[in-house]
Amino acid sequence: MDVGLNSDQLALRDGVRDVLRTECPPAVARQAITDPERWRSVWKTVVDLGWTELALPSADTDGSFGRMELTVVLEECGAAIAPIPLLSSVGLAAGVLRAAGAGVDDVLGDIAGGTVAALAVHPPAHRLPGVPMTLEGGRVQGRAVTVPGLPRAELIVTLAASADGPVAAVVRVGDGVIVHDAECTDPAQPVADVEIDAEPIALAPVDLESALATPLVAAAADLVGVAGATLARSVEYAKSRQQFGKPIGAFQGIKHALADNYVALERARGLTYAAAARLDDAATPHAAGWNAAALAKAAAAEAAVGCARAAVQVHGALAQTWEHDIHLYLRHAWQGASTLGDSRALYHVVGRRFAGSAA
Amino acid sequence: MTDLVAEFAGWLTDFLPNDYYERYSEYRWDLGLRRDHQRAAFEAGWLQPTWSREHGGRSLGLADAMQIRLESAMRSAPKLPNVAGVGVAAPGIREFGTAEQIDRLLVPLLRGDEWWALGMSEPEAGSDFAGLRTRAVRDGDMFRLKGRKIWTTHAHLSRWCTLYARTDPDAPKHRGISCFILDLESAGVTIEPIRMASISDETFCEVVLDDVELPADNLLGPCNGGWQVAMSSLNHERQMIWIMNWVEIQRGLNSVRESEATDDYAAGELFAELGSLLADAEALRATGYRALTNELAGRPSPEADILKLLGSQTLQRVWELAAAAAGPRSIDDADLLFERQDALAATIYGGTSEIQRNIIAERLLGLPKG
Repeated sequence: MDVGLNSDQLALRDGVRDVLRTECPPAVARQAITDPERWRSVWKTVVDLGWTELALPSADTDGSFGRMELTVVLEECGAAIAPIPLLSSVGLAAGVLRAAGAGVDDVLGDIAGGTVAALAVHPPAHRLPGVPMTLEGGRVQGRAVTVPGLPRAELIVTLAASADGPVAAVVRVGDGVIVHDAECTDPAQPVADVEIDAEPIALAPVDLESALATPLVAAAADLVGVAGATLARSVEYAKSRQQFGKPIGAFQGIKHALADNYVALERARGLTYAAAARLDDAATPHAAGWNAAALAKAAAAEAAVGCARAAVQVHGALAQTWEHDIHLYLRHAWQGASTLGDSRALYHVVGRRFAGSAA
Repeated sequence: MTDLVAEFAGWLTDFLPNDYYERYSEYRWDLGLRRDHQRAAFEAGWLQPTWSREHGGRSLGLADAMQIRLESAMRSAPKLPNVAGVGVAAPGIREFGTAEQIDRLLVPLLRGDEWWALGMSEPEAGSDFAGLRTRAVRDGDMFRLKGRKIWTTHAHLSRWCTLYARTDPDAPKHRGISCFILDLESAGVTIEPIRMASISDETFCEVVLDDVELPADNLLGPCNGGWQVAMSSLNHERQMIWIMNWVEIQRGLNSVRESEATDDYAAGELFAELGSLLADAEALRATGYRALTNELAGRPSPEADILKLLGSQTLQRVWELAAAAAGPRSIDDADLLFERQDALAATIYGGTSEIQRNIIAERLLGLPKG
């Protein structure tokens, strides 16, 4: 299986990177922490450029927009810590819908056109994502916690248990939807709890593992981007900061910590690209796709948190200050790491499955 | 599975004894079987798949060759009895050797008729390979060699050795080294095997060179060009090492799965680490392919540099987990003891993990040398 990027995907990556460099330097994430409307101008640019069209299984007639392209774009947005709901809407919410039946196609089209949706799949008191709602008598009811991007969303995608099995359901933020805003680790990417008792605007049956696989890979891509950008900041600083008459990056204590960060980054990137490629391959069984996606998410969270923690250590006291950017990356990494399952919980599930499988 | 991989798998199945997998723990030490396997692989063109037919290959592309290697690893094909010969010496001879050297040496090496040792480490030159002290002094058409090599695997069973010696003591240390092809039967060569701590059959030796005369024709590569020969050869080795690590990791994972323990700690406590190791194994494979994709497209492939470090660390963790899963049964399991000891070697041979981290930090991340 080919798990590298082809030249079209590399060109896409470079194009996205160029746009973000000018439109969305880290200062924008900083502004978004205090200005709840700051994301809108960046989002308009992103929608105008057509990045939200990645929500659709294939935007081109030749079907060239797969999860690999989505991965490439989300990785760059993560690297830019862009305070936009591209991951939460296109990666997570649309990620579930694309695994569901035709009943939600119109909603996918809306998300592709820039309507912001959020994915509510964290049941209270659970480490792993699941089915937080029920569908009975034509109403979606239940509670979900820490819904990524909910304060910016018009639509909520969720998973509900029904008499006929699990469904993906879409409700509109408004009547019957109570949003509990919260202070969160990364205010540039706000989350909120939600209580729902509403009629869905769209419904379709889903396979749970297949539904959550694309969101897991999307979250992984974002965190790989954060890991890479954070490591780059550490390397840059370690080359310039002088102590004992030489750059601190000349000391093996720093050098080896950053080399280990690089291993964690490439490990996660390898798993993420491989998982995206697997999900794009229709022959992949649902369980194998979920396993690959879960391992990618677990590894990417470890890489992002590991790189961010090392960056704090390398930057020393500077990293403790509001003025320095490192806390922006750390916040993004920590928040992402706890979304859709923490690494230990995800590893545990995959490990348990392997242990229980036939040799 | 491609037709090619299927053809290889069929060939291997036909070659292996019927009870190979049931009695793997015995067959893995069976030198006769391993020798036969190497010769058969050479003749069938599976030994060095990218090379020509006369040199044990089928002129395959890199991607096909990697698939063959992985398939061979997944099927636990018998280990090459003298892996340093096929994996390190042979690529060096092929790349740097004269027509005469290739003609004389390569086929007996690849068929396994003549074993090779790597004369690199010295008592005072381990990770600091370029600091080696063995001297080679020109004397007309000859060189005279004096010095001491150590940790020289299989020297006592080998006919030849790629021997690195200092030919220009006044040049900067990387530029005064040459690589020689040393006939270990030469006068003045004394070889002492060193007893290993484990049951490993990859026995170390000490090789003492007391005024050994060597024809100048035995230089491999240019005089004072030994550093390039070493780096290129080790690069080939690193590409093979991660696949070797990967297969041992798979075996270790299976060993965890087959744990007999039934108490509360039998399973649940191991799962998270097991999942993390499954991620490592898959990351090795995916990264190996990604590096290859970049290489084939003529792009840089920096991610290849993580493979040795990640593979060797994972190998150690997986066997420690296997020991935990075995509980007290790990104490009287000789195979497991060997796996754990052997895994500890993986972060040392072929460039220690510390050197790998220096390489990543300095060459890839661009951090200054210490």
